[in-house]
Amino acid sequence: MLRGYEGVRYISDKQMIVFDIGSAYTKFGYAGEASPRGIIRTEVRCPESKKIRRIIDHTDVEDLYQLLVEFLHLLFFKYVVVSPKDARILLLESPLAVTSFRDTIAKVMFKHFEVGSILFLPSHLATISTLGIDTALVLDVGYQEATLIPIFEGIPVLKAWQALPLGGQIVHENLRRYFNDMSNDIDLSEKVLEDIKVRTCFVTTLERSTKLGTKDAPTPPPDVMYPGVQRILITGEIREKAFEILWERDNDNLSLSTMILDAIVKCPLDMRRVLAENIILVGGTTMTKGFASRLKSELLALVQNDLYKNKLKIQSFKFHTAPSKPNYTVWLGGAIFGTTDLPLRCLTKEIYLKTNRVPDWSSLIDNQKDETSYEV
Amino acid sequence: MTYLNQPDYVRYVCNCGSLKPISKIYFCRHCLMIRCGYCVCQKVDSHYCPNCMENLPSSEVRLKKNKCSNCFDCPCCFQTLSTRAGLAATMKATEGEENKDVKATPKKVYYLFCSLCRWSSRDAGIPDQSVATGGWPEQENPHTTRINALIDYHKILASIEKQQCERKKFHPKRPFMPTTMYSFTSTLLRKRIGRPLKPPMQSQSTAQPVSSIATEEIEELSEDIFTEPIDITKITTLEQRLQHPEVQAEKINELRPQHRQFLVKRSQRCRVCEHNVSKSDLCPQSIKFKILLAAFESPSLLPSTVRQVPVTEDPKPIKIIPNADLILPHSALILPPRDDAAEYDDTSDNHNFQDDPKLVVWRKGNKAVIRLHVIPNDTNENNEEPVIVGFVMQHGYVNTIAALEHKSPQKVDVKVKLYLNVGQLVDKA
Ligand SMILES: Nc1ncnc2c1ncn2[C@@H]1O[C@H](COP(=O)(O)OP(=O)(O)OP(=O)(O)O)[C@@H](O)[C@H]1O
Ligand SMILES: [Mg+2]
Ligand SMILES: [Zn+2]
Ligand SMILES: [Zn+2]
Ligand SMILES: [Zn+2]
Ligand SMILES: [Zn+2]
Repeated sequence: MLRGYEGVRYISDKQMIVFDIGSAYTKFGYAGEASPRGIIRTEVRCPESKKIRRIIDHTDVEDLYQLLVEFLHLLFFKYVVVSPKDARILLLESPLAVTSFRDTIAKVMFKHFEVGSILFLPSHLATISTLGIDTALVLDVGYQEATLIPIFEGIPVLKAWQALPLGGQIVHENLRRYFNDMSNDIDLSEKVLEDIKVRTCFVTTLERSTKLGTKDAPTPPPDVMYPGVQRILITGEIREKAFEILWERDNDNLSLSTMILDAIVKCPLDMRRVLAENIILVGGTTMTKGFASRLKSELLALVQNDLYKNKLKIQSFKFHTAPSKPNYTVWLGGAIFGTTDLPLRCLTKEIYLKTNRVPDWSSLIDNQKDETSYEV
Repeated sequence: MTYLNQPDYVRYVCNCGSLKPISKIYFCRHCLMIRCGYCVCQKVDSHYCPNCMENLPSSEVRLKKNKCSNCFDCPCCFQTLSTRAGLAATMKATEGEENKDVKATPKKVYYLFCSLCRWSSRDAGIPDQSVATGGWPEQENPHTTRINALIDYHKILASIEKQQCERKKFHPKRPFMPTTMYSFTSTLLRKRIGRPLKPPMQSQSTAQPVSSIATEEIEELSEDIFTEPIDITKITTLEQRLQHPEVQAEKINELRPQHRQFLVKRSQRCRVCEHNVSKSDLCPQSIKFKILLAAFESPSLLPSTVRQVPVTEDPKPIKIIPNADLILPHSALILPPRDDAAEYDDTSDNHNFQDDPKLVVWRKGNKAVIRLHVIPNDTNENNEEPVIVGFVMQHGYVNTIAALEHKSPQKVDVKVKLYLNVGQLVDKA
């Protein structure tokens, strides 16, 4: 008789399972494949209350543990369809991931699902595997935040990292504020706001942006009527202004474009031009129409600004295109890297069960501690 | 079926701390312990298409990326598409189908249609097929060749790294990685700065350079966006885009049907002793589960040499708080051995048990109704909280595993913790 799981075990021994568990969307699939098997929301139906809960909304570590058990169970048995026991897992992780998240996911993976090994790969580092180069400035604009780490000759330049709470979430909040200003009785769920954003909004040009709200404001784009039981008027103004929050400099003068220039300023002189000419944009928010061209104009305008004019001698910015859609480029980097089979980087079940902890070497932030002590 | 949607009034406490209704409880006949979906080790057993019921071995499923080659999902609403037969488009040229003079036999063609949202492969501009199954154009990932080149490049890099490690007599206990393209330690970084940028692969590989080239050229925002009205019903939702990650089409008519995902049947093993606790049939049409009934299950036990030390997970804290006391009966209750025929047989005898009428209200066949007294802690009838009691039930169990091993069957006592939700207080007695 044919025993199904033997075949599956063969796969799991051979091929790594690659997860990029984002704050909003999870990308999953197998190492060596050209695209993820799927992209799903990072959420799960709570078995008790039957309500949908996002993983990022966990109340404490214990709650996170249970949510991850439910979520990973879905991933293993419904989406990736593989027996988790003894499987080899590659987890892409944000450099800013809190240690408690990494510790909890390792515990769920090893103690609940009995996976064979986990390789933690920093997402910015993984990204350059999609380009076949070893130096790039990686800007990831996803849901909760925008993060940036320059990679120079294969090594993350940690002291230059940047992070701001700029991404899909803040755009949704911005949209909600616009709708609330229009009328008090529209209360839109975040799912509807995201739908409106994805289907009708765009990043406008720098030129028009400077005139928005002034007396010679350009004619707004056409309004759109959002269909459904609750018809909503999406004004052209909202469509154009939804993403402006990403470019407005806050009280500390920070925005997406200052992140790039600030990172470059923090790097040694001989790295700067190379980094400015090797930018790669990843994360779902960068897929918005007009995003990349606006970023480029913002950067070109900003280097002329007094803030940077004397510090930076950069004339041009160049961008890479990965063989993927930006919202799964990080995943693809993991899927390419995961074929290389470097056992040294893996945390195995045996080691984990002996030590009950995730060692420091998998953490960029932990490594950063000695960064400061060496560099400053 | 309706009772499946009801709240769970009776919940068993599994050894892992989960509270589950009896329909979700397994019993390990080897450990003589209750197990549940949370604490058993689950494995993918077989794959099947929920639409055409095709059942494939895992090796093939793997090649087909876990998708059914015959069935498609609607790219708009994700329901299963049906194949419809129609007449070949060439027939349309001959106007007036009633005309009996048409000599050519109409050629049958097939297209895909969604009966829920009315999406059709014709509207999407996909050519009709002359056979009912298969033949639909597949969308290849345009980057496959490039990605394969990148994979080869990384494999070479990795082998160089491995050689370097061996040469340096790398100690695996050292906390940091050796000098590699991928290491991320700050001390190494300092040494690297100032060295000329050189591609590590030049001499080693004959493969063409795979380095991506950055460019200043960026697609500008189309001016149309400021003037052209948009029809939102023709723009895809993110959910629709994500069904096909490598394309993520923005226009509805660019969506393509996606192959239906296989579902899996799972097997459950006790994590302590690795015996199966329930085994679904390999045949997907059947939903029979041979729980506890299989006479022989020894083939499913792995030989002891390959068994690993069981991994134990910390039990979950039990969050339910009983708010009433239960007055336990003084005598034991005797149930006859389970008799499957009794369900259909009205005449089955009542065994003439000498029941205490205060305890046993009624009994028939496999069922007995007993009365127990509950004293709520809070007797305020306005309290909306349900009354919950917790107790331990002890019952005899004949260890049939021992019988299989040619030992005499052993009768053991099994204890189970239970919580009963007996509803709200309605009136003071
Ligand atoms: N094809 C698309 N077009 C437009 N917007 C998109 C697209 N795909 C994703 N997004 C938007 O990008 C955001 C999600 O991006 P991504 O998947 O990179 O985030 P994440 O990895 O979950 O978040 P983070 O990295 O911050 O934890 C969402 O706000 C989503 O609305
Ligand atoms: Mg992300
Ligand atoms: Zn259990
Ligand atoms: Zn099928
Ligand atoms: Zn449909
Ligand atoms: Zn057991």
